[in-house]
Amino acid sequence: MCIDLQMLSAYMDGELKEPYKTQVKEHLEHCAACRNLLEDMKKLDEKIQKDVFLEEELNRNKDAIYKKLDAKCFGEGRQVSFFRRKIQMSIPTAITAAAAAVFIFVGGFVFFGSNAKETNDILPSFSVNADSENVRLVSSGKNSLDDYTLEEILQYLDGKGYQVDISIKGLQPLEEKGE
Amino acid sequence: MEIKSTNREDFRKVYDANYTLLMQVVMHIVYNQEIAEDLVQETFERFYVKNISFPTMDDAKYWLLRVSKNLALNHVRRNKREIQLVDKVKKMPSETANYFDSSKAVMEEEDRKAVRDAVNALPENLRSVIQLKEYSGLDYKAIGKILGISETNVKVRVHRARKKLEEILSAEDKDVY
Ligand SMILES: [Zn+2]
Repeated sequence: MCIDLQMLSAYMDGELKEPYKTQVKEHLEHCAACRNLLEDMKKLDEKIQKDVFLEEELNRNKDAIYKKLDAKCFGEGRQVSFFRRKIQMSIPTAITAAAAAVFIFVGGFVFFGSNAKETNDILPSFSVNADSENVRLVSSGKNSLDDYTLEEILQYLDGKGYQVDISIKGLQPLEEKGE
Repeated sequence: MEIKSTNREDFRKVYDANYTLLMQVVMHIVYNQEIAEDLVQETFERFYVKNISFPTMDDAKYWLLRVSKNLALNHVRRNKREIQLVDKVKKMPSETANYFDSSKAVMEEEDRKAVRDAVNALPENLRSVIQLKEYSGLDYKAIGKILGISETNVKVRVHRARKKLEEILSAEDKDVY
C-alpha cells in the first residue's frame, strides 16, 4: 500500500514520528510513484517559498524601531505614557462585563460606541464594546470617522496631547455605590 | 529562564530574537512594509504594557506572534475598502511598464504574485497555518500553540492547504499555456 499524502506531507516537513518515519523512508526506497509524489510536493513548496520576504528588507528599520521602543519603555526621566494604560486606570474595574455605551469627550467632539468586541483589546479592564460603526463625530461633520476605530481616534488624540476623558452612560461605578 | 516583559534586558533579547519573524508573519497579512513595522512596534508596546512574565523565550514568542497576527488581521479587516482600492490601482495596466525588465525578473515576479494570490484565495483557517509553516520556519507544535489548535490539526491543515494550492496553481498554469 502506498503512502497517504498527508503522511508524506508531514514526512517532508520532518514532522513524522517513529515508527511511521522509518516505514515511509523504506517505502520510498522501492516505490518510484511515491518518490515522484514527494518530488512534486517539494516543488510546490519551493514555489510557495518564492513569496518569502528577504530578511535584510524586513530588518530595514529594526534598530530605529528598537530605539523608539526603548526610549518609550525604559527612557530615563520619561514617564510611561501609553494611552491604553492611562485609560485603563481611570476606569473602575468593577464595571467589567457591563454592556454600555462609551462616550468620549474631547473638546467639542463626542465619540460614542456600543456593542462590538474590539474594545476588549483596547481597554482590557472593561468589556464595553465599541467599534468604528458606532464612532461618530457629532459636532461637525467635516470628515467621516467611519474609517477610524475608537482606538485609532484615541491614539491620534493622545498623540496630539489631548486629555481624553471617557464616561460611561447609564452606569455608576460599583465602587461609588459602596459595594 | 524566565522572561519579564518590563525588564530592559529581557525586552531587548526578545526583540532581537523575534523582530524579523514577526515582520515576516505580518508582511504576509498586510503586504506593506510601513504598516507591518507599525504593527510590529505596537505588538512590542503591548508586550511591555502587559507587564507579564513568560516561563520561556518560546512562550514569549508565541504570545508575540499571536498578538501581531491578530493586530494585522484586524488592520486588514478595518481597511478593507482602502486596500481593495489600492489593489485596483495596482492592477490597472501601467503605461510606464518597463519593457526592458529582464524576462527572468518578470517571470519571478509573476510566480510570486501567482503564489500570493493562491495563498490569499485559501480560507483563513488554512491560510494562516500554511503561511506560518512556509514563511516562519516554525514546527507544527509551535504553530499549534500560536493558533490554539492541536499538532494533529496543524498537520491536517498544512496538507489540505498544499493540496488546494497545488490545484489553484496548476489550474493557473493551464490557463496561461
Ligand atoms: Zn508508493
